[in-house]
Amino acid sequence: MRRDHVRWIVLAAAVALFIAVIVNTAWWQTVFGAVFTAHTEVLYPRATPLVLVWEHVQLVGISSAITIAIGIPLGVWVTRPSGRPFLQLVTDVTSIGQTFPPVAVLALAVPALGFGLVPTVVALFLYGLLPVVRNTIAGIRSVPVDVLDAAYGVGMGRWPALWRVELPLAAPVILAGVRISVIINIGTAMIGAVIGAGGLGTAVVAGLVRDNVAFVFEGALAAALLAVLVDQLLHTVETSLNRARGGG
Amino acid sequence: MMIRLEQVTKRYGDKVAVDSLSLQIEAGEVCVLIGPSGCGKTTTLRMINRLTEPTSGHIYVDGRDTATVRPEELRLSMGYAIQSVGLFPHLTVAQNIAVVPQLKHWPKARIAARTEELLRLVGLDPAAYSAKYPRQLSGGEAQRIGVARALAADPPILLMDEPFGAVDPLTRERLQRQFARIQQSLRKTVILVTHDLDEAIRLASRLAIMEAGRLVQYDRPEAVLASPANRFVRSFVGADRALKRLARIGIKEFIKKAPSVPVDTPVAEALRATGGYRWLWVVDRQGRLLGWVDRDLLAIAGSVREVMDEGEPEEIALSEAATLREALSRMLGQGIKYIPVVDSEERLIGELSLRDVEAATTEGES
Repeated sequence: MRRDHVRWIVLAAAVALFIAVIVNTAWWQTVFGAVFTAHTEVLYPRATPLVLVWEHVQLVGISSAITIAIGIPLGVWVTRPSGRPFLQLVTDVTSIGQTFPPVAVLALAVPALGFGLVPTVVALFLYGLLPVVRNTIAGIRSVPVDVLDAAYGVGMGRWPALWRVELPLAAPVILAGVRISVIINIGTAMIGAVIGAGGLGTAVVAGLVRDNVAFVFEGALAAALLAVLVDQLLHTVETSLNRARGGG
Repeated sequence: MMIRLEQVTKRYGDKVAVDSLSLQIEAGEVCVLIGPSGCGKTTTLRMINRLTEPTSGHIYVDGRDTATVRPEELRLSMGYAIQSVGLFPHLTVAQNIAVVPQLKHWPKARIAARTEELLRLVGLDPAAYSAKYPRQLSGGEAQRIGVARALAADPPILLMDEPFGAVDPLTRERLQRQFARIQQSLRKTVILVTHDLDEAIRLASRLAIMEAGRLVQYDRPEAVLASPANRFVRSFVGADRALKRLARIGIKEFIKKAPSVPVDTPVAEALRATGGYRWLWVVDRQGRLLGWVDRDLLAIAGSVREVMDEGEPEEIALSEAATLREALSRMLGQGIKYIPVVDSEERLIGELSLRDVEAATTEGES
């Protein structure tokens, strides 16, 4: 338990540091100014890094929330007797969702959904669905047959067995899928800027258009830091969950 | 609770796993289903709590056809213990035991009290074990928790599938003895599946021997061992069935009075006490066994203590709760014809002779 506490403290400190860095525009100005001497303007002028990060977090947050809200029940359903016939179909369709490039989804979505947040969220949702669904299925299938047998044998019905045995035992694998999905989304959400969804991609796109490397770096660096941070956060949730049940 | 199987058949495609099996298990009996692997014993057990549905036939529990009862409800009235892997790995020992009481919506305080009671019953300290996770338990401990979980809501029926399977022989024997003791006070209707004949003989009040989905003999273990129904049973129980039968017979009625003297008895008096016997057991003031003396040595000795062969009671004597098989094994192993018998306080009760044990062996052999 102690090791856990230390981890959480370190993580809280990392979050605080991240916010401090993002908020401190003067610091960005100084460092980028020193590195990118070719440009007079080294920071994207229309929005501060903090605003861009906030927009980015919203994009990822909304799309990941939808991914989780649909992906986990979908994965659970196809492992139930009623949904088992659809298992192959669902894994195939979610696989296709991921092989389809998000940019292409955007291009197809814009005529139907217009510009901005909605088509981007749809693209991110489709792109992030596979790891969640696949890991939910894998997690539930990893529950030992004997344990499930015991669950039914002692008198649990299908719902109690799912809630009290299958989902808790599958949780680490499911959570790993969520982590992968969210991290992928943080990177993929950059393309939302192309159709005006905002986020850190805005600085990158502006940099490419204006041939300003500093803008590109601004967006990319912040996104990378965000991805590392969120990854660590979810990883800590995962390990503390595992350790809570006597694991190493 | 009485259980009755009527013409129960289970088919998997063309394969017949259980072939029109009829079996009646009286309340309070320990019915052991035994047979080679694939004989249908586990399938039979699983049909009783409907984890497997019979293809045809009926199963009645206390006169009620189980097919008319919701499976979950049916299972709540039957404890179910399988090998240790059946414990829920994400729940603590206490939570594992509490599963069924929780499903029955017992109040928290009652569940906590029951959990403690059960841990004590299976010989584990609640303070040390309640908060442990299954992966922190030894095989033997895990199986005891499995039995405790099955007993949690005090079901009248207990279904056990190789409950003592995954442990070393020494632990297994200890668990079996413990289970026999618990069963003696709880008097559940138990159906136990095993492939271990010694386990079956030790625990069963009825032995159901199965072969290829059929019941080939159903009787008290003594009767099965004394007169196997056919060649299959004869070869299954083995050529040493006479010896196995001894494991069913306690030594109590074969104990004979034996001369003994307190260790501080004068030699002359001790010699008189031998009364024609070659050996004399020596006890202390409280009657606890200390050792023995040889009459011939005693004749030339100054005191009993001087020529006494000493030994720990558990090494030189049998407990009165022992079986004839243990008695025989001890006597043959130590090359002796007489062995003293002590009670639980290690006080001498009498002795057992090899000749009497032999006589008991041949009795049922006619």
